[in-house]
Amino acid sequence: MAEREDIDDQLRAQLPRLRRFALWLCRDPAGADDLVQATLERALSRWSDRNDPDALRAWLFVILYRQFVDGRRRAKRYTWLLERFRGQSDPEVPSVEREALAHSMLDAFARLPAPQRSLLYWISVEGLSYREIADILDVPIGTVMSRLSRARQALRQLGEGDAPTPALRLLK
Amino acid sequence: MKTPSEHDIHAYVDGRLDAERQRAVEVWLAENPERAAEIRAWQGDARELRAALAGADGPAVNSALDPARIRARLRTRRRTRLAIAAAVLVCAGASGAAGWQLRAWRDAEPPMDDALEAYRLFAAEGGLRPDITPRDANDMQDWLDRHLAAAPRLPDLAGAGFRPVGGRLLATGYGPAAMVLYRDGRGGVIGLYARPPSSRGLLPRGERRKGALVAQYGPGGRYNVALVSRADGRDAAIARGALAGSDWAAE
Repeated sequence: MAEREDIDDQLRAQLPRLRRFALWLCRDPAGADDLVQATLERALSRWSDRNDPDALRAWLFVILYRQFVDGRRRAKRYTWLLERFRGQSDPEVPSVEREALAHSMLDAFARLPAPQRSLLYWISVEGLSYREIADILDVPIGTVMSRLSRARQALRQLGEGDAPTPALRLLK
Repeated sequence: MKTPSEHDIHAYVDGRLDAERQRAVEVWLAENPERAAEIRAWQGDARELRAALAGADGPAVNSALDPARIRARLRTRRRTRLAIAAAVLVCAGASGAAGWQLRAWRDAEPPMDDALEAYRLFAAEGGLRPDITPRDANDMQDWLDRHLAAAPRLPDLAGAGFRPVGGRLLATGYGPAAMVLYRDGRGGVIGLYARPPSSRGLLPRGERRKGALVAQYGPGGRYNVALVSRADGRDAAIARGALAGSDWAAE
């Protein structure tokens, strides 16, 4: 019983940072909380599988990120099916929040592809080591470095406004 | 001057280099102004991003995400799965009674396998919820009498510290069956399983081990009765004593 409470306390302490990261990853509060819930469920049922009990934060990020990637893969398949039925895909509709953030650093960040967003978030906000990130993504550390170069270039371009897509779009 | 590695350039941007390597990168930057402009811009972006993200409001508290709540939901889901497993167990029993061939096959099965299965479903921590949580032993016996015709008498295990704590009914191919759980408050669990006999009639006294569990069984009035517990240790000895000393098992 005491052990259970201890596990819950450890997870509770990580909850705010998981939710913030999930929100930046999903850009949708409900989707973000669903993702965090799925992450905690998996963490609780696989608690004994942790390799390194001290690396709880990185372990939770691994679970969360892989759930996100799996979910997107499923969603993509679903979208693909829908497009086949409709004959075309719907154009992207920017959210109100996105309009308000136009041209700011956060806007540029929000418009990065999710993998680049995660990478910069882990480094800038969480201060994870390059090694930890390589473990989360399950790639060699050199791959993390080249992805980081591309992410920084992309952020730079978006911030300077010479992005391939305009920062502002008309709301439908 | 040798070009620094991609790793060192990023580590420089993120302020993760030791003093010596940081100086080396700075020397190289001074010699390569066009790369230097980009890297300084990255540095600025990183600073700005960190400040912007740190200043952004975090999401409002959502109590549904509390680990204790999520743990409770997982338990409920596990119970649902167990209930499905119980339904499957019951179906297996029903199909066994459906045709003579199947029945013959079922009767060739080791006796009281279903008692062990029921114990696994109900006695494990976080297992299925009982249909009844009795106030005392009389309460438990009343419940059993209400649901099973000519129900067996429940053994009194109070001397060994075990009290009946819950009962659950099960439908089997041979008729209604019941599992009554006894606990001693120190982790000991003994399950009494009673079900109508198969076509072979009442079972003689016997014992069946499977994995870490043992079912010690015998006839109890009109029922086959099994006391199920862990095979090693005190619980099995208490169950054995109860089976030997009880009225219903002596018949």
